[in-house]
Amino acid sequence: MLELQPMLSALWRNKVPALLISLQLALTLAIISNIVIIIQERIEKIGRPTGIAVEEIIAINVMAIPQDYDMIGAISADMDLLRKLPLVKDATVTNQVPLSQSGSAGTFYTQPNQKVGGENSNRYNTDPNFINTLGLKLVAGRNFTNTEMQYYDPSEIRDVNVAVITQQFAENIYPGQDPIGKPLYDGDSHPIEIIGVVERHLGAWVDWSKAGNVAFFPIARNTQDINYLVRAEPGKRDEVLKTLVEKLSERDPQRVIKTRILSEYVARSYAGDNLMVKVLSIVAATLSFIVALGIVGLTIFWINQRAKQIGVKRALGATRSNISRYFLVENSLIAVTGIALGSAAALIVNQYMVRDYSQPVLTLVPLSICALLVLVVSLTAALAPALRAANISPATATRSV
Amino acid sequence: MIGYYISLALRSLRSTPILSALMVAAIAVGVGASMTVLTLNYMMSQNALEHKDDVLFAVQLDSWDVNKAYDNANEIPWQLTYKDAQALLRSDIPTHQVAMHRYGFTVELEDSAIRPYTADIRVTTRDFFSLFDVPFIYGGTWEKTADGSPMQVVVLSKATNEKLFSGENSVGKTVVLNSQPFTVIGVIDTWEPSPKIYDVNNSSFAEVESLFVPFGLHRKLEIYSWGNTNGWDSGEEGEGYEGFLQSESVWIQFWVELSDSEQKAGYESFLTAYIQGQKDQGRFERPLKFALSKPSEWLVLNEVLSDDNRVLGWVSLAFLLVCVINAVALLLAKFLRKAPEAGVRRALGASRNAIFTQHLIESSTIGILGGIAGILLAFMGISGIRYLAMGQLDTVARIDWVMVAAAIGLALIASLLAGLYPAWRISRTNPSIYLKTQ
Amino acid sequence: MLKMHNVRKSFRTDTIETHALRDFSLEVKEGEFVSVTGPSGSGKTTFLNIAGLLETPTGGQYLLDSEDVSNLNDRQRSRLRNEKIGFIFQGFNLIPDLNLFDNIDVPLRYRGFNAKERRKRIEKVLEQVGLSARAKHLPAQLSGGQQQRVAIARALAGEPRFLLADEPTGNLDSLMARQVMELLEFINEWGTTIVMVTHDPELARRAHRNIQIVDGQVCDLRTLTEQPEAATA
Ligand SMILES: Nc1ncnc2c1ncn2[C@@H]1O[C@H](COP(=O)(O)OP(=O)(O)O)[C@@H](O)[C@H]1O
Ligand SMILES: [Mg+2]
Repeated sequence: MLELQPMLSALWRNKVPALLISLQLALTLAIISNIVIIIQERIEKIGRPTGIAVEEIIAINVMAIPQDYDMIGAISADMDLLRKLPLVKDATVTNQVPLSQSGSAGTFYTQPNQKVGGENSNRYNTDPNFINTLGLKLVAGRNFTNTEMQYYDPSEIRDVNVAVITQQFAENIYPGQDPIGKPLYDGDSHPIEIIGVVERHLGAWVDWSKAGNVAFFPIARNTQDINYLVRAEPGKRDEVLKTLVEKLSERDPQRVIKTRILSEYVARSYAGDNLMVKVLSIVAATLSFIVALGIVGLTIFWINQRAKQIGVKRALGATRSNISRYFLVENSLIAVTGIALGSAAALIVNQYMVRDYSQPVLTLVPLSICALLVLVVSLTAALAPALRAANISPATATRSV
Repeated sequence: MIGYYISLALRSLRSTPILSALMVAAIAVGVGASMTVLTLNYMMSQNALEHKDDVLFAVQLDSWDVNKAYDNANEIPWQLTYKDAQALLRSDIPTHQVAMHRYGFTVELEDSAIRPYTADIRVTTRDFFSLFDVPFIYGGTWEKTADGSPMQVVVLSKATNEKLFSGENSVGKTVVLNSQPFTVIGVIDTWEPSPKIYDVNNSSFAEVESLFVPFGLHRKLEIYSWGNTNGWDSGEEGEGYEGFLQSESVWIQFWVELSDSEQKAGYESFLTAYIQGQKDQGRFERPLKFALSKPSEWLVLNEVLSDDNRVLGWVSLAFLLVCVINAVALLLAKFLRKAPEAGVRRALGASRNAIFTQHLIESSTIGILGGIAGILLAFMGISGIRYLAMGQLDTVARIDWVMVAAAIGLALIASLLAGLYPAWRISRTNPSIYLKTQ
Repeated sequence: MLKMHNVRKSFRTDTIETHALRDFSLEVKEGEFVSVTGPSGSGKTTFLNIAGLLETPTGGQYLLDSEDVSNLNDRQRSRLRNEKIGFIFQGFNLIPDLNLFDNIDVPLRYRGFNAKERRKRIEKVLEQVGLSARAKHLPAQLSGGQQQRVAIARALAGEPRFLLADEPTGNLDSLMARQVMELLEFINEWGTTIVMVTHDPELARRAHRNIQIVDGQVCDLRTLTEQPEAATA
């Protein structure tokens, strides 16, 4: 019924075109399965919760023009001004902009004067309004207070006494323990008490292996430039943005003020990943399309070449579905060969991808899904020509080609 | 004869418009995708200092934590501490040497309508311009004393000079930086190395800074770095700004020009001796290690061409390969369908070569059309990438003539390769079997 | 003109070896009109293919115009085919995409004639076969007999001295077959040597000489006309 034997020998006689299709399907599978896991990884990365209200926040950079500018005085005045603005929920001062790819980090230890075995963390110097401004969720302990704030010159060394940290950092540095009340050391003998834990925040760098390890300290330093974050009422961000530069310059014209919405920082930080996702998706789609077109072309060619045979078979009693089935089974044989080759190639290629280019490991599930996809593409492409073949009239047999 | 083959090729392509379009599209898409990615990778791999690759060296010293190696490929910090940079500057072995870092100032002009703005600054020693071959339009670099003691002089980029002084010779005029007056002593010409080879630590594809000020200003203006500052010994830091300068934080980029191997050997022994001396004073507790990297090596070491770029490069080449195989299959199908015609031609006196050439010309025609369409696609791809990268790749995402030529070449090679087997196959088939009565 | 001595041709497929020609010897003189008959599968087409340099013999000697052509390379063989030999097939084998003019143009192109010369020759042969008015028609627009006349015109355009015809009338009705035969006789009278394979005994008799191929060998020679000298085996 399936005429497998004659089908195989017919294929063998047309082995080069058949092999070329198998090869295309194999390469396609090898490429697509490796692409898909990269895309999947990047989409997961981009989709990680940031822990903050990205869409409602505006970042402001203030740079003083005079060399001996009183930044600390300016911060208090600016904060008063910003927090009183209509449609503004809250504002805070910070040494870095969240998710902006630029910030500060340090290594922290559990023991005084410890030098090895510390845990790296992103560090914010900010004020008590950061929880409300960023939209963080305090899950344990307390926020720091205004009286715990320290304002000082960048060249000064001051000991900081309290910190709020993320849950992830807490679990990494004090695994399985209640972090509240525990000390952090930054290489000397002075303990910094952990007074609060926030649910999560990715921190300044999205690509960092320790992203999510974040510590907040109640510090503002008298630097030449400083960052403010302003959180607007939901949906009012753009309205607030319009007046900010003007209001701040009005209060004190002695600075250069730049604003940018936080979502733009985030988009820029993920631009590389986004580019990979887009480019690789386009590649995967066009690849499938091109291969499908190739299969359509070749199947049509084959069928045209065998139009007479098909007519003869029909004249000898083959039904329409016999004919279509023949071509679909033939196509499946080719596709399965390609998929076998392609799976092997995919796994080999993936080893290099993992070893040399730090890409994710290809597991069986995505590989099987891609293999199935390739089979579906191949069969879909063969379907239309195969159905058309079934329409070849038995009368073709009696006409010479 | 070639004219005859070309007319046959065109006739044949026109007789199967859909199949022809399919093959042209396959080649075009393959070439377009690979050209887009390869252009990007090619531009990212450019070495603006190629002509001085044998004489320029980025200097790294391993002054890092005894407990933990620096976390990069060669386990030496990218940058130097301020005190080590100052010590190296005292050497008279290198032809030129540069200690520098990125910084920012507010910029304004006295009695001017131009609103104050912030600008990227390079704080550097005077040799920056001669070492990196930066051309001047007006004036020149500062005196050597400015590298050691505060002198408020500035070199402007061409664009800054346009903006502040409408492109006139501004040497001698005053620019106000962070409310301090600076005297313009030079204006450089357009100079846009990309990747920004001299500073790949702070985004490799950023623009060149717009102002340059001397290295002797640190103490007077309490200048910190706007690039990375990495420390490991937070406990030891002394009081005040001086404490920061004397700390173990690394933040100074250092380059030297060593004209021959003798000079290089001399400099290497100088570095060895320096590190030994520091070891005696209790610094440099790790095993003695330093590195002098040529610009080309520096680009590789810093992974300016990222893993993602390399992955995209391979993906696009594999993609092109699939497109070529696709074209082979379709061409084979097409040529085999016309095999009887080839048989008749053979019987009428066409040699195998004639048949082969005729079909190869047909596939080359497809290649040329595909190549041209591929270049258009590559232009679209490149602008797509500029858009997706949100301006971060503008300096590298562009096509130059080399790449246009390469694209046409690639398309031709791809289609010739694709046409080779089918054309050979058709020229080999025995004509007699197609002449038989059916 | 043509002399074959002990020519052998065998086809090897995976399972069996077919001996299409065995110790095949034949001589055809300049100006002769030879008809070839024999049962199907006896090797007639194989003989024509070898005579026309489309296939190489497995063994034996083949002299064309006293020149040993057994060991020529493809380029030399193509050149000879182009200059000296014309082919006519049972299936006509016109190129369906090309109109009559361009079909006849094909061998002239490979010959390397200039455009003027080609046009002159094409017009001349079209005139000879009586199809001048249809130069721009495609083969599909002609009847079988007309198609065969175009094929003959194409074979004649290069003014070959040697015309090989493989069942040229096999696909035609008897009236058309006679027309084609008359055309061939006319061509022969002008000096072209013709070898024609046919199943039609009447047509075979009209040739100067008939040879029979059975099982890959020339089996019987009969002189049908008063040719001064019969060919020897
Ligand atoms: N290409 C080929 N491969 C294998 N056998 C062939 C081939 N061509 C011809 N033959 C065999 O050679 C023999 C002679 O064939 P042919 O010359 O075509 O016969 P005729 O033209 O007299 O009918 C037949 O037995 C045929 O099967
Ligand atoms: Mg025959």
